[in-house]
Amino acid sequence: MSFLDRSIREIHEAYLRGETTPYELTLEAIARAKANQDNALETLDENGALTFAKTLMDPEPENLLWGIPYFAKDNLSTKGIETTASSNILAGYIPVFDATVIAKLKKRKAVLLGKTTLDELGMGGTGTTGRKGMTYNPYAPNHDRLIGGSSSGSAAVTAASIVPFALGSDTGDSIRKPASYAGLVGFKPTWGRISRYGLFPFAPSLDHVGFFTRNVDDAAILLQALAGRDEKDATSSDQEVKDYPVLQKLSPLGYKVAVIAEIVDSLTDPVMKEKFAASVAEMKQAGIQVDEVHLPHELLSSVYATYLVISSAEATSNNANLDGIKFGPYYEGKSYQEVMCKARTKGFSELTKRRFVIGSFALMAENQEKLFLRAQKNRARIVAAIESIFSQYDLIYGPAAPSVAPMVHPKTEMNTIAENHLAIGNFGGFPSLSLPLALEEGLPLGVNLTGRIFEEEKVLALASWLESYTGLAGLSALNAKEKQ
Amino acid sequence: MNIEAVIGIEIHVELKTKSKMFSAAPNAFSKTPNTNVAPLDMAFPGTMPVVNRQAVVHGIRVAYALHMEIARTLNFDRKNYFYADLPKGFQITQRFHPLGKEGYVTIFDLQNQPKKIAIERLHLEEDTCKQLHFRDYSLLDYNRAGVPLLEIVSYPDIHNGVEAVRYIEAIRNIVVYSRASDGKMEEGSLRCDVNVSIRPQGASFFGPKVELKNLNSLKNIQTAIDYEIARQSQCLASGMAIVQDTRRYDEAKGKTVSMRLKTEAIDYKYFPEPNILPIVLSEAMIEEAIATCPELYEAKKERYERMGLTPSQASVLLSDPAMASYFEAASEGSENPKTVANLLIVEVNAYLNKTGNGANISRFPLPPVSLKRIAAYREDGYTHQQCVEILEYCLREKARPEDALVALGITKADNDEEAIAAVVETVLAANPQSVSDFQAGKDRALSFLVGQAVKAAKGTLNPSVLAKALRERLNQEK
Amino acid sequence: MKEITIDVLKDAASRLMFEMTEEEYVKLFQELSSLTAQMEAISQCEDLDGYEPMTFPYPVQTTYLREDEPLPPLKREEALSNAGSTLEGQIKLPKVVG
Repeated sequence: MSFLDRSIREIHEAYLRGETTPYELTLEAIARAKANQDNALETLDENGALTFAKTLMDPEPENLLWGIPYFAKDNLSTKGIETTASSNILAGYIPVFDATVIAKLKKRKAVLLGKTTLDELGMGGTGTTGRKGMTYNPYAPNHDRLIGGSSSGSAAVTAASIVPFALGSDTGDSIRKPASYAGLVGFKPTWGRISRYGLFPFAPSLDHVGFFTRNVDDAAILLQALAGRDEKDATSSDQEVKDYPVLQKLSPLGYKVAVIAEIVDSLTDPVMKEKFAASVAEMKQAGIQVDEVHLPHELLSSVYATYLVISSAEATSNNANLDGIKFGPYYEGKSYQEVMCKARTKGFSELTKRRFVIGSFALMAENQEKLFLRAQKNRARIVAAIESIFSQYDLIYGPAAPSVAPMVHPKTEMNTIAENHLAIGNFGGFPSLSLPLALEEGLPLGVNLTGRIFEEEKVLALASWLESYTGLAGLSALNAKEKQ
Repeated sequence: MNIEAVIGIEIHVELKTKSKMFSAAPNAFSKTPNTNVAPLDMAFPGTMPVVNRQAVVHGIRVAYALHMEIARTLNFDRKNYFYADLPKGFQITQRFHPLGKEGYVTIFDLQNQPKKIAIERLHLEEDTCKQLHFRDYSLLDYNRAGVPLLEIVSYPDIHNGVEAVRYIEAIRNIVVYSRASDGKMEEGSLRCDVNVSIRPQGASFFGPKVELKNLNSLKNIQTAIDYEIARQSQCLASGMAIVQDTRRYDEAKGKTVSMRLKTEAIDYKYFPEPNILPIVLSEAMIEEAIATCPELYEAKKERYERMGLTPSQASVLLSDPAMASYFEAASEGSENPKTVANLLIVEVNAYLNKTGNGANISRFPLPPVSLKRIAAYREDGYTHQQCVEILEYCLREKARPEDALVALGITKADNDEEAIAAVVETVLAANPQSVSDFQAGKDRALSFLVGQAVKAAKGTLNPSVLAKALRERLNQEK
Repeated sequence: MKEITIDVLKDAASRLMFEMTEEEYVKLFQELSSLTAQMEAISQCEDLDGYEPMTFPYPVQTTYLREDEPLPPLKREEALSNAGSTLEGQIKLPKVVG
């Protein structure tokens, strides 16, 4: 077993004891990255990572992230490292500044190994629309299963145990869904908790920066490291950053947990149903209050359309800066319009273009009332319904996905309630975490915990309790057989 | 049929701040393109807007001066369109909730009667990058991208070119004296788009709206509007349709020329900017912004008049803020500010005009304290002519007035009654025709005689005493 | 609401400065038609108009305004390092008219 398979805290202790060094671990991670066949990387910054790791000589006892290797999703701006958001329109773009999360990790002396693939510009949930093609699920060596998206590569490198954690972003479920398919802890805290400065925007009112880890403690460590007010992101919150690694150990026994019946009822996988029910029973057994609550079927069914309208409308505007003039491949033309049009026609994939037209259509003066504003009102209606649950319950517990990672062929229908409900966490900016529940024929099943805004500690505490119940802390594609 | 012109004006003012509207790049003039640029100004992915406090303060002050309702929460929106000079593909502006709304400014109309021009809105936004056009290509300079702009939109309450110019002057006075902007049309820090339409006098409908662009001086605006009103009236008279279009003012020809037809309005797909939270403007912040606003044009004008200046003297001094502040420095604590004003308006301006080529008070070598001293000499009984000599000497020799006095050997003109009487007699004897003209009731003859007397006294006698003596002597003759 | 036709979609795409293939427009047409139908269904909800359109995930206001202090700008070479067409320290485009 390599130290790469361990938790952040274990690696830190190994550094302190002198059992390994950041340089050794970085070398090993690079070797694993090169051997990996999941098409998870946009850039492997071998030289940069090794050069930096070499400078790390004296472990810092108070700094858990010192020398920890990690990857970042390729929609986070990295100074001097090509950042493309897996889109051809940004091929060759080398940012001149670091995203705030990257800068924070640099300051903590974590070692950035490179950048991971995503669905183009973060749009899409399959891990198939990036410029390099499909990213594979490490749990399916035959490459016959999706890993989901859009944070596909970050999920893959963490599940394949190349690194103990990777940064991602989540606009609808882009961290939590792939986390579920790849047996990982995937966490997006409250909107405003972590600075979005340097995150290539998809839909700012829904976008979150978050991360993948293989255990809850690591998620707590990262949250504490990355959270906090950033004056470069005027939407970031100045709410107090708490000591999450300590708080996640607190007992969740006093919590009141709601399970939305309509979401659970929409599950069709019997194993998922059974495992989920067993976990609820176990919680109750332990003395945690878990109640079934109800939301109108119609309300839950409206999540996807609402999400698509709002996110596409914001996306079409956010990505209007991509025109080949200031950055990205430049195409000659007779007029500036032709220059832009060539860059955008060649630079965007079909799915992206469709979303842009949809978003633009929704914003047109004569359509805005019926599409964009109506979607924004429906977003408010959905959030109000969830808030009313939170007026009585601390947390909402549910499936993170209907089942295990879907097959690439045939395509699964993706319009069920259980498939789309995670976007509610983005609508209300709620802290929301997925973690593995069980393995079904070697493939992970995931559950989700969502809490009140700025109450990440409760989400983490119940996740930590569930993690000890499932025994799946440290799960990866390498050790899944032992954990079954 | 009497024709009435209906004119609305949109003014964009570049705000004088140290940094840009939404980025911390310097907002400063640079001859070198692309040297005042932050990542946001070139719309690098992942950059986010953060609102500049000083731009908001300027906006509040101007809104207050325009008697507007000031928003208590600041909100921003996106205006989406593609253009070569628009880095982000949208402009951040305030569509739905402008910082100021429903105000007015008072101007004087053609009959010099006070008239309120209603103002619809005032909002903050950001400038685009600058394009330089060459024969077959254009170059983009992002130094201007993101410079804070204040847009002020009037209601169509303006009816002719003169009112338009007075309206713009009134706005310019406010932005310049609040130090929100340089307000220089020639340099583009104050830009006007003018909408002109005509209709029968008193009608409530509007004619097709023609937008005028490229109006980079007040003179051009007046000429362009007058031309446009005449052109549209002629169209109407000859039964031709007035086309709704955008027209450029051709300065050389003194005409407006059609640039493009206004087909369907562009759909800017406005929506609220999701990266800027609503910003609460506290009462305390608004009050402080207003309380700390530098003294505005109208207030200064009233104060100058209270100091004894004529309205026209006050206007001349205030036409240049630098001149006004020179005046204030030179007249501070002075017994007779009017004397300072006179010296500035007549003698200093004459000197500046002679120096030529854009010379202005900010490059005038004499410190205000010296002018104040010279004015004090004048009040102390030295003649105007003597004071001018002192001023000229100071400028020529870079000397202090005290030293000039010694160097020139000037002594105070005295009020010696005998000397005065002698001069009076000499002048009366030499000009019998004027004397009889005066006796016949021609008052003008008196000024001529006073002039002759001052000349004869060669600056050694106090002119006002001399004039008084002359008048008394003539009245005795009557 | 504007009627959805292939021509409307083509016009929308061209205003967004890109082109799509005929097949892509057909797919887009279907997708958008299905979406507007779903939105129509949502509007059947009686109390929908009782909600304010939501721009931010939760009610939030700030008083923060950035102090007007400039920070060092990018070096010119940095600012232009990603631009594909430059001349004399500026971005060069075909002549912009209109």
